[in-house]
Amino acid sequence: MGRLMISLGSIYLVWKRYAYVYRKNMAFAVITTFVEPFLYLASFGFGLGSVIGIIDVGGIQVSYRAFVLAGIVGQTILFQSFFEAAYGSFVRMYYQKIFQAIAVTPVTIEEVLWGEIIWDASRSSTSAVAVMLIGVAIGDFSILGVLCAIPICFLFGMIFASLGLLVSAKSQSIDSISYPQYLFIIPMFLFSGVFFPLTNLPNLIHKIIFILPLTSVLSVLRTLVLGFTFEWWAPIIISGWGILLIPLARKAMIKRLVA
Amino acid sequence: MSSLSVIDLYKNYSRKNRPVVEAVRGISFDIKPGECFGLLGPNGAGKSTTMKCVTGFYHPSKGSIKVLGLDIAANLRDARMKLGVCHQDDTLDTDFAMLDQLLQFASFFRIDKKEALLRSEKLLKRFDLLERKKDLVESLSGGLRRRLQVARSLINNPELLVLDEPTTGLDPESRRSLWEILCEERKKGMAILLSTHYMDEAQRLCDRVAIIYKGKIVACDNPQKLISDVTNDKMIKEEIRPGITIERPSNLEDVYLLLTGVSLAADLSEGA
Ligand SMILES: Nc1ncnc2c1ncn2[C@@H]1O[C@H](COP(=O)(O)OP(=O)(O)OP(=O)(O)O)[C@@H](O)[C@H]1O
Ligand SMILES: [Mg+2]
Repeated sequence: MGRLMISLGSIYLVWKRYAYVYRKNMAFAVITTFVEPFLYLASFGFGLGSVIGIIDVGGIQVSYRAFVLAGIVGQTILFQSFFEAAYGSFVRMYYQKIFQAIAVTPVTIEEVLWGEIIWDASRSSTSAVAVMLIGVAIGDFSILGVLCAIPICFLFGMIFASLGLLVSAKSQSIDSISYPQYLFIIPMFLFSGVFFPLTNLPNLIHKIIFILPLTSVLSVLRTLVLGFTFEWWAPIIISGWGILLIPLARKAMIKRLVA
Repeated sequence: MSSLSVIDLYKNYSRKNRPVVEAVRGISFDIKPGECFGLLGPNGAGKSTTMKCVTGFYHPSKGSIKVLGLDIAANLRDARMKLGVCHQDDTLDTDFAMLDQLLQFASFFRIDKKEALLRSEKLLKRFDLLERKKDLVESLSGGLRRRLQVARSLINNPELLVLDEPTTGLDPESRRSLWEILCEERKKGMAILLSTHYMDEAQRLCDRVAIIYKGKIVACDNPQKLISDVTNDKMIKEEIRPGITIERPSNLEDVYLLLTGVSLAADLSEGA
C-alpha cells in the first residue's frame, strides 16, 4: 500500500468527515476550540500581565501581556492538536473503529491518517488564528507577522498532531495516554517559555528545553508576531521534529491497525 | 473471470515479545460471479483474517488475492471500488445519523450527491430503517446497527460482498429479510464471501462452503455434497431432552462438528 499514490481527493473526503462532525456539534466545538485559549489569555495575559507590565527579553522591551499572548498561541496549537490526535484518534481507532471502516473503501489507511493529521492541524490553527486576531485587535501583534504565522501554525499543528497520533498508536488503553501527557506535554507547556523567557534558567535545564519542539515553535512565533530576534536554530529543530514525527506516527498507527 | 481468487494465502501475526500466530496457513479458493461462498470454522480459525486480507486491509504474509481479476495489492483502489465490506466488529461511525452515515460512505466511493441520496434511501427502505433515518447510530439497538452496517456495505453496488458474520444479533425476521436481499443481489451477479456460525444459514445461502480449522481448509464443497460425503447421509439419533430421542437426517452442523471436533484435532495436527 505504501507504493500506492496518495490521493489528495481522498484525504479531503476524510477531512470532510471531521469537519462535518465538528459543524454538527457546534456548541461543543466552539467551547473546546476557543474557550480554553481565552481563559489562559484572560488570566495570564490581562490578569498577570497588568501586574507585571513591561519585561526585558534579550534586550527587547515588551509588555508581559504581549509576551504571554504569543505563548498562548503556541500552547493552543500544542494542546488542541495533541489532545485531539491522541484521545480523539484513540477513540476513532479503538472504540469506533472508523479508521478500519473507511480503510476498506477506495480510501486507504494512509489517506485516513493524513486526513486525521490535517484535520487536527486545521482545528488547532483555527484556534491559534483566533488568539492571534485578538493580539492584533489589542495592538500587541503585527498584522503582517500574523499573516505569515497562519500557514506556519498549521505546520506546527501537524507536528503536534503527529505526536498525538504516535502516542495513540503506542497506547494500550486510553488511560495510558496520560503518561506522555503528564510526563512530556504538560512539563513542556510549563517550561518551554509560554509564561517566562528562558534566558534566566540554569544551563542544563536550558539545554534540555532548547530541543523540545514547543520551544522552537514559540521562538518562531515571537519572531513573527512580536518582532523578536530571529533564532536560526528554531526552524531547524522544529523541522527536525516534523521530519521525525509525521512519518513515524503514521507508521506506528498503520503497524497497530494493519497487523 | 472469478469474482475472487485466493491462492495459497498465509497470514502470520507477529507482535513484539509474543510468539508468532499463524492465523492462516495456505488457504486457496475461488468464487464465481453470483456465487455465495461460506467460510465456516471455530472461533480463531482464521475466517476474519482471511477476509481482512481479501479487502486489502491486511498484507498477506504469502499468497495472492485477486478481486474481480485485479490483484488487490497492486490495484487496491480499483478493486475496492467494486468491493463491499461488513466487518465482524461494529464499525459504524457513531457521530452520524443513519442516512448521513450512508451518504458519507458513498462519498468515499466518489458517488455523486444525488445518486448517493437515492441509493441511501433505497437501502434504508430495503433494510426497513427508513423511518429512523435521522436517528443517531448511538440510539439504535444492536440488531438495527448490524442492519445498518450491512446496508452500508452495499452502498457502492459491490460486485463482491464480504460479510463477516452479518446476521449475529439479528432477529429471525431481519435475518430472513437480509437473506432475501442477498438473494436479489446475487441474481444481478454479486458474489458473496460469507462467514457465519449458523449452520442453517450456511446451508441455505451458500453454494459452497469451506470449513476452516486452525488456518487451513479441511473441507470445501457444496453443503449437500459435504453432508453425504462426510456423514454418508446417515440418520442421526439423539436425545434432545431427557427421555426424548429423535432420529433426523444429518446436516451441515454434523459435518462441521465432525471435521472440527476435538477428536479430529489430533489427527489433523499430525498430518499438518
Ligand atoms: N490483530 C491480531 N493480532 C494478533 N493475533 C490476531 C489478530 N487478529 C486475529 N489474531 C489471531 O489470529 C487467529 C485467527 O483469528 P480470526 O479473527 O481470523 O478468527 P475467526 O475465524 O474470525 O474467529 P471468530 O469466529 O471468533 O470470529 C486467532 O488465533 C486470533 O487470536
Ligand atoms: Mg471472525
